[in-house]
Amino acid sequence: MAKAEYVKFVDVTKCDGCRACMVACKNWNDLPAEPEAFQGSVQSHANVTANTWNVLSFIEHENGKGNLEYLFRHSSCFHCSEAACVKVCPEDAMHYTEFGTVDVNADKCVGCGYCVQNCPFDVVQLATYKDKNGKEYKKAQKCTMCVDRLEEGMQPACVTTCHTDAMEFGTKEEMLKKAEKRLGEIKERFPNAMIYNPEGVGGTHTVYVLAEKPSVYGLPEKPKVPTSAVVWKDYAQPIGKMMLGATSMALVGAFVSNKLFNKEGKDHEEDGGGSHE
Amino acid sequence: MTNHWNDLQHTDCALIIGANPAENHPVSFRWLLKARENGGKILSVDPRFTRTSSQADIYAPLRSGSDISFIGGMINYAIENNLFHKEYVAKYTNASFIVKEGFDFKDGLFSGYDEATRAYDKASWSFETTEDGKPEKDETLQHPRSVFQLMKKHYSRYDVDTVTTVTGTPKEEYMKVAETFCSTGKPGRAGTILYAMGTTQHTVGTQNVRSYAMLQLLLGNIGMPGGGVNALRGESNVQGSTDFGLLFGDLPGYLGAPKELPEHATLAAYLEKETPKTGYWSNKPKFVVSLLKAWYGPNATKENEFCYQYIPKGNKNYSHIALFNAMYKGELQGAFLFGTNPVVGGPNAGKEKEALSNLDWLVAIDLWETETASFWQKEAGSDPSKINTEVFLLPAASSYEKEGTVSNSGRWMQYRWKAIEPKGEAKADMEIIHMLMRRLKGMYKNEGSPAAKAMNALYWNYGEHDHPEFDLVAREINGYYTQTGKQVENFGMLADDGSTCSGNWIYSGFYPEEGNLSKRRDNKDTGMGNFLNWSYAWPMNRRVLYNRASADPSGKPWNKDKAVIWWDAAAKKWTGNDVPDFKAIVAPSDPGGTNPFIMTKDGVGGMFAPTLNDGPFPEHYEPFESPVPNAFSSQEFNPTIKVWDGDFNLKGTKKQFPIVATTYRVSEHWQSGSMTRNQQWLSELAGHMYIEMSEELAKEKGIKNKDKVIVTSARGEVKAYAMVTKRFKPHTINGKIVHQIGMPWHFGYKGYATGDTANRLTPHIGDANTMIPEYKAFLCNVRRAD
Repeated sequence: MAKAEYVKFVDVTKCDGCRACMVACKNWNDLPAEPEAFQGSVQSHANVTANTWNVLSFIEHENGKGNLEYLFRHSSCFHCSEAACVKVCPEDAMHYTEFGTVDVNADKCVGCGYCVQNCPFDVVQLATYKDKNGKEYKKAQKCTMCVDRLEEGMQPACVTTCHTDAMEFGTKEEMLKKAEKRLGEIKERFPNAMIYNPEGVGGTHTVYVLAEKPSVYGLPEKPKVPTSAVVWKDYAQPIGKMMLGATSMALVGAFVSNKLFNKEGKDHEEDGGGSHE
Repeated sequence: MTNHWNDLQHTDCALIIGANPAENHPVSFRWLLKARENGGKILSVDPRFTRTSSQADIYAPLRSGSDISFIGGMINYAIENNLFHKEYVAKYTNASFIVKEGFDFKDGLFSGYDEATRAYDKASWSFETTEDGKPEKDETLQHPRSVFQLMKKHYSRYDVDTVTTVTGTPKEEYMKVAETFCSTGKPGRAGTILYAMGTTQHTVGTQNVRSYAMLQLLLGNIGMPGGGVNALRGESNVQGSTDFGLLFGDLPGYLGAPKELPEHATLAAYLEKETPKTGYWSNKPKFVVSLLKAWYGPNATKENEFCYQYIPKGNKNYSHIALFNAMYKGELQGAFLFGTNPVVGGPNAGKEKEALSNLDWLVAIDLWETETASFWQKEAGSDPSKINTEVFLLPAASSYEKEGTVSNSGRWMQYRWKAIEPKGEAKADMEIIHMLMRRLKGMYKNEGSPAAKAMNALYWNYGEHDHPEFDLVAREINGYYTQTGKQVENFGMLADDGSTCSGNWIYSGFYPEEGNLSKRRDNKDTGMGNFLNWSYAWPMNRRVLYNRASADPSGKPWNKDKAVIWWDAAAKKWTGNDVPDFKAIVAPSDPGGTNPFIMTKDGVGGMFAPTLNDGPFPEHYEPFESPVPNAFSSQEFNPTIKVWDGDFNLKGTKKQFPIVATTYRVSEHWQSGSMTRNQQWLSELAGHMYIEMSEELAKEKGIKNKDKVIVTSARGEVKAYAMVTKRFKPHTINGKIVHQIGMPWHFGYKGYATGDTANRLTPHIGDANTMIPEYKAFLCNVRRAD
């Protein structure tokens, strides 16, 4: 059970796009560089990946008045309260921490990828590693909210490094209050501004003040835990485990997951993660 | 900076022009956003909508190279609409001074111009004086030859319509900027101007900055918290290196370097010629003699002119551009390049690379093997068998591997402790110089040639081993009494008789007997965010320069809520939240008591500057390469710049190269990228060389986003990705569409992130005063690569 719920509050209207959060994340979490092809904009990576846990997205948007807005968003795991990844994980590798955030237990993760398939925000990805015999294996990876720092009473690395205080980390109550207050301050400049803390996933532990509608940022307007995930976790998996044992169930699951989970039957890998329910 | 980073939080309006601090000085935004929370406005003026513009209240585009037009229009707007700070202008600036008859300005030229030498005789740019030599004034500012009236007349030509047809700024946006910023002319309000290399790297760079200073004086914004003219320095210690004589015309502390001229033949003659009779610079002899005592120690005596004759004197232009021209012609034998990478960073970099091959030897000192250190390699496009230059590469220690100080843009000198030992054979720059000097001195020891005399006289007392003692260097910079060896308290104690030494007078005071104040880390706010016990700010720990001007002539702050210093009549001294940049016991009613600009001859701010090479008032000239004729006069480009001959600086025509180009930096890379392109996490963030262009230009040229394109100028070509963006819009200049593109200049072929070098395109031409290259406005063309 969570001691208290904590939230990372991201105020995108204070972000100046410096990307120090991206470097701080790689530095603290010791993640390798992953150079990608030229994106056609200043943005470095198309999406977050298993080794790049936060990506600053750069969006050129002409608003209702025809004025150009250059919008930035620090995008990383939302740490949903009702997290689809936790729901579908057959090994309980995905779990809630004492801070209310979501983390992966690498020792338990078997790399089945259900979490990847079910994340409504396309945040979770599989990283490939090699064991000492050169055999490849996979583990789910994503932003941990620097849980190892939180446990030591520190703030997430991205929050600490942010020089404009576009990110803050604190109790849910305090952060939501700040978000409300900030929304009031910026409404005049950004009439479409909103707090993004979607109910469909039980609220999140990364809460945004967005300057524009979620779709402008490529975010689902109303994300929710996929029904298929609920069916899987609450019905199929317990029965299956009883019959086949946990590990074999993961293998069966890997086979059926494409059939069962692929959203609207599309190939999830190829649509660039853009399809949302 | 006249002010400092933290002080930005006090501004009512920040005009950001020629700078992109959100990307290149991100921490500034910590303070700018605080200012905005208190109702301050942020204005971004830039050819391109940047990360800075995204945070601005108002964005106004301008064509690269049209700053003086832009600011001249604001000066005109403030005067025409009576928005300027009248009392400040009348009392604290030379606007009231009467200029002598004979001063004139016609068709882009001030009086005294000589076409043959491309230089001015400045005799007619002077003030009427009274019998006791003081300037004649009219504080009503009505005299037709008063600086104010001449300025008003000069900038009356900069009406909004003319200005916006030159800058290409939509009139509505221009008016918003002018109105918002000029509202700070009201007493009690403060506006700041932030600028960087987008301002300076022009053939009119110095006058660009001058125009900001004039506007700020006119609005009464200098000396104010949240005010000032603030240069955002482009490297962590560029402020420090400039203070310590980096520029070719300066000795440390902005003492002009002596030349090989009859009037500089002796120390006495040099001091006589270069020392003003009034103002704080009248103390110059004390600073010069103390510097000579620091350099030559006991060998410097009154009898031998304190070894003045050993200072090298020459009359040539020793700027980067001039040195590379000389190198290209084979006039230089060798070069030491400390942490500089001209094959990526130099103007017309392709030619500068060729010039290197005319050296007999080159010593490159850097953290990595740069494009410059490896200019002779096949990968650099060279044929090693045809290059005879002997290249030495010395590994340098990084900033974490050595102790020392770094002076930031706000003039804070902050000591840094060594974190780790240098890797491998890497050494600190100071160590390299020290070892070299010890060996050179050893070689010359028993010689009697003139060069040996100078070498032997040099007092090199930084330890009798290869590792120099930083503390000894630091103590000497502050200066000490030569008799007792005790540290001098500050530069007020320096003398011109050899009884004191100081390696850099402006820093004198940072290391008194009680210790090295640059090590101070007391983060308690002593008032107005000045943190007076954190590190040390030159001069004398003053945080806001000219802060006497933050109070009215009677000594009361213009804005009591944002008070810096004030006259305490009971205590009979200036006091407040900062160290007074003024003599603390001079009362407002005393002679000079209302002269805040203590460094100038007359104690007031210079609306009229009779010392610069290109005129007492900034005047718009087109860049060396421009797509349009000059709308203000028949002088196309700055009539006083040196135009270099030969094939080093081919000039493109607008017919062949109709597109304006500019260069810039990104957050993730630093300078020529030799540090950052060797860092994987930064390289993945900004890994590709690109050309930013408008959707309109892309359409015209059949270019799609992410296409490979080729940009050409008269000097060379580069291949890169096209970044087609809404953030660049074509300019409408005098009714015609003028396209502009921009590109980062960080790339080369070394490191993790590689790409073509933008500076292969840039012209080899510089400012009329500083010789800074015109990287920021030149002509090019662009086409799809396939």
